Formats: sequence, C-alpha cells, structure tokens
Amino acid sequence: MEIVMEAKGPIALLHVMPDRIDASVAIQFKDRFRDLVRDWAGPVVLDLQNVVFLDSSGLGAVVAARKLLGEGRQLELSGLTPAVEKVMRLTRMNAVFPIHDTVAEALQAHGVAPAA
Amino acid sequence: MSVEDLPITRDRPPPGLPLLGWTGLRRFPAVPQVVTMELVGLNQTLTQLGLPIEPLFTLELVLAEVLNNVVEHAYEDRGEGMIELAIAVRDHAIHCEVLDHGTPMPNGCLPPKRRYDLDATGMQDLPEGGFGWGLIRDMTRGLCYAREAGANRLRFRVDLDG
Repeated sequence: MEIVMEAKGPIALLHVMPDRIDASVAIQFKDRFRDLVRDWAGPVVLDLQNVVFLDSSGLGAVVAARKLLGEGRQLELSGLTPAVEKVMRLTRMNAVFPIHDTVAEALQAHGVAPAA
Repeated sequence: MSVEDLPITRDRPPPGLPLLGWTGLRRFPAVPQVVTMELVGLNQTLTQLGLPIEPLFTLELVLAEVLNNVVEHAYEDRGEGMIELAIAVRDHAIHCEVLDHGTPMPNGCLPPKRRYDLDATGMQDLPEGGFGWGLIRDMTRGLCYAREAGANRLRFRVDLDG
C-alpha cells in the first residue's frame, strides 16, 4: 500500500494515499506501516484525508499500528473524512486516538511549524 | 392565502422513480478484492440513481462487514465459494439479501454485539476486530438470518430517511 512518509522535526507524518483501508488491503497497510516506523523514535501522525472508506478490518489495522508503536510513541490521526469519523465514533475508537482536523493542526500541537 | 395553500416542502427527496423500484442482483466470488470492487460499483450505481450520500455510506459499510464475514467465516478464507447479493430500492429503504453456501452461523443465529470497556482496556489489549456485528446491528433495520437448504440467507434494510 502506498503510504508516503515525511519527517517534520520529531514527528513522522504518514500520508495514506489510497482512498480506502478495507479488508482487501488491511494486511498491506500493517506491513507498510511497520516498515516505515521501524527506525523512528518519535510520535507518528497518520494523515487520512484521502481515505473515504474505512471498514472494521481497516480500523483493526489502524489499532494494530497503534499497538506496534508501544507505550513510548504516540499515534495521532488527522484529516478524518465524514465516513471515517463515523466509523471511529460508532466503535468509540475516537476516544483512543488523539484526532486533529488537519495535518497543520497536528504539527502545531507538537510545536512544529506546518510550513516546510 | 392560508397555510394549507402553501406548497409542501420536504427535507428528503420527493418520491420519484429512483426510490420506487430499482433492483439489482450480483453474483461474485468470495474474495476480498472482488468484494471491494462490487462495493465501489454498487455505490457508483446508487449514486447515479440519485440516492442521498449518507445512507449510501451506511449501506457500503454494512455490506462490507456482512460480505467480509462471509469471506472470512462462512467460507473460512478459502478463496472459493460464491456470494449472491440482491438489492431493491423501494418504500424509502434499501433492502438487501445476502446468500452464501458456506458454514452456518455459530449456533444457527446471529452473533451478538460485543461490548468493550475501553476505559479499562490497556493499549496493548485494544480490540483489533469484533466490531463488525455491532456496526451491522447499529446501522440496519429488520435484520434477520435463516439457514435454508444449505445456504445462509441474511436480510436487512437501510432506511433512506434516517
């Protein structure tokens, strides 16, 4: 799965490029995420603004990604589209992840200026 | 002019052809990539019919959960077996029937919604699955399951006006 990583100071910004995280790509999402964050010590922000469909398998993969980072590294989400927000709310997983409206807000929350 | 003379305005689309009688029947292999293609195709078709976006998202999510369950549990991820999906849009609802010839539901009935106490759950114990039936039960009406002549038949509807 195409996920593009951008280092922003202490933050790893992971842009999910496909418009769906569902049962057909959940394993690829987990594998790619694991490869990207292997050598990263800081917080990770997952940019989901392209994702217009997330099912429970996709949500499970995001939860697995959270666990992979362990207690020492945060996983935050940004740019939830209405459909993704609804799934997070119905499963109450919105209480588990810090959620930001935009990437810029996520970076600002960590004191990183959004402009490159 | 009295109030009775004013035109009636509605928040929902006026009753028209698209809401009255569209039906679709699809038969496809129980494979995750095929399920994704079917869901995307159905969403495009129903969008072109003029159905509102909110119930279409609900439908796509519910169908994804139902069909993924058939792939993973009824057919046990064997990559074989066929799914039949019948859709009818009528009476301000999207009526669905999903048929497969895989393993019956455990105990012959629908699994319950699982409850999680997320406040009391440590991060490493967060659930990575088991959300599916909760979402299906929360977002459908008239959910019913039957095992008939070696087939699983699941029926439900998604209302168009909430």
